[in-house]
Amino acid sequence: MTLISLKDIYKIYNVGGEEVRALDGIDLAIRENEYLAIMGPSGSGKSTLMNMIGCLDTPTSGIYEFEGEMVQVMDDAQLASIRNRKIGFVFQTFNLLPKATAHHNVEIPLVYANIRKEERLKMASDALESVGLADRMHHKPNELSGGQRQRVAIARALVNNPSILLADEPTGNLDSRSGYEIMEILDLLHKKGNTIILVTHEDDIAKHAHRIIRLFDGKITEDIEQSF
Amino acid sequence: MIFSLFIENFRISLSAVFANKTRSLLTALGIIIGVLSVTLMGTLISGLDRSFEGSMSWLGKDILHISRYEWFSDMEWWEVKNRPRLLPEYVEKIRERSEYALAIAPVMQRGASLAYEEKETRTEIFGTNEEYMETISTNIGKGRFFTSSEDRSGSRVTVIGDGIKEAFFGEQDPIGQYIKIDNIKFRVIGVLEKQGKFLGLFSVDNQAILPLGAYKRIFSRRGWMRLSVKVPEEKMEDSVDEILSVMRHIRGLKPNEKNDFAINQTKAFESQYNTLKIAIGGTGFFITMLSLIVGGIGIMNIMFVTVKERTKEIGVRKAIGATNGMILGQFLMEAVTICLIAGLVGLFFAYISSLFINKFFPSTLPIGLSIFSIVMSMVVGIVSGFIPAYKASKLDPIDSLRYE
Repeated sequence: MTLISLKDIYKIYNVGGEEVRALDGIDLAIRENEYLAIMGPSGSGKSTLMNMIGCLDTPTSGIYEFEGEMVQVMDDAQLASIRNRKIGFVFQTFNLLPKATAHHNVEIPLVYANIRKEERLKMASDALESVGLADRMHHKPNELSGGQRQRVAIARALVNNPSILLADEPTGNLDSRSGYEIMEILDLLHKKGNTIILVTHEDDIAKHAHRIIRLFDGKITEDIEQSF
Repeated sequence: MIFSLFIENFRISLSAVFANKTRSLLTALGIIIGVLSVTLMGTLISGLDRSFEGSMSWLGKDILHISRYEWFSDMEWWEVKNRPRLLPEYVEKIRERSEYALAIAPVMQRGASLAYEEKETRTEIFGTNEEYMETISTNIGKGRFFTSSEDRSGSRVTVIGDGIKEAFFGEQDPIGQYIKIDNIKFRVIGVLEKQGKFLGLFSVDNQAILPLGAYKRIFSRRGWMRLSVKVPEEKMEDSVDEILSVMRHIRGLKPNEKNDFAINQTKAFESQYNTLKIAIGGTGFFITMLSLIVGGIGIMNIMFVTVKERTKEIGVRKAIGATNGMILGQFLMEAVTICLIAGLVGLFFAYISSLFINKFFPSTLPIGLSIFSIVMSMVVGIVSGFIPAYKASKLDPIDSLRYE
């Protein structure tokens, strides 16, 4: 089943009177339980594409359907709701709230989703357990290693049972060992049925994905299914 | 379930406020001072009201005080300095002519030293007649007042205030004991009930009352005298008119001549008091408004800084599903929380101060005003926090996430 469908998507910025086409006619369909890597050099539009897929941004023109819903006509509140319920973000710099414990960080999306407190606490605990942090729940980010922080971020992304997990250079700030652990978790999540979209410029990381698309100057230049 | 978001926002606010204690305190200072000044002003006025009411009932609302000068007057001194003295004979003359006068007491007053055994004190002594008790609100606590025959015969008897009794006799029965007033022996025949302070200024319990006959013979024929006239309370205006014409007749004034005496009432105090109250209230109001405006600007300023500092956090929150309204609510709540805490701190200091003030004159922190001041500080929080919070809510999530 098609989860995400981008048709003829343009994102055009006006920088100093000059037209910049960050996305220049993108057509892309992503099915359920795909493991996709978006690659490309900096400036190729991969971040813009990721923000678009993550409903942080809306296209200048084109049609974006997320589970059959038209995203480009949604207002801010509707976009926030989609991000909250359907999309889990994992960032390169983790982006945890520094003053909150791991458990509280994971709980926040559930607060925005108006879920009752007891349920929230349980769901957050379960999500942290699933990434192997059962014993670190009440630590603050500065008491955790980089790998552990990224695992908290993955737990936060997963806690609402989203349709897709969007990971932007998830291993970019980690040593190779921690990076390897994080990729193992993502692989496992994919096996369990999650849809995962990776943004990376590292071939080693992209190898984990089953499908790789390459971007250049806002256009898709390559779209390969990898077989294992 | 918006409630859980509310709790979450409150929790964030508290942790943000306590994470920057010094900054929060400095920010909150304006609000603290504002709340402190408005509540202390209220305390002061409540205390003044109470002591004023008490003092006015001591002076007596139904008593006309005839004396040489007005209590409060804008007349020049040279206009009134040649007014003739009041004389004891007026008592009988007023009694003959006035319908409304229920009791008339001439009152002379001076300072004197009182002594009993080894103890000595300086105080005010009053010379008056047997009707004096009807013109004051105090009762005899013990013993009796003197009679008209004791007055006429110049008996050396005295009724003392509760303060004197406490100082000289303690638990001992003072009735029948002799005290010395300026070295002349007087027999104590009565003690007045305890009264407290007049306008919170001086105690009226330290006094000795003598029959005018003895007073005049021993101390002075001349000197100050006023007449206290009790009249029916419901006929105050008629009574003033009547006593005025009686006095003018006694003084033999022609219709075109001005009064050469004054009829004072507690009303005169009231208008003076109201002027004072407006002055205190106005000053307090001015200080309060000023510190709230300054405080509000401080809150707004610090909220702009907070929003700037936490741009990244705002981006993250939006990415994981916070709507603009939720972000607005979060920062608005933070501003209100600072103001609420500041208001409570201000109120706490006001309460401590009111206990301290209460030692000097009876007063209470008005509850209504306390609630009002807390509500007011929260309103300041909403007003000054709105623009920064609105700005935070409108931040672009992508730019905010990139912000370092």
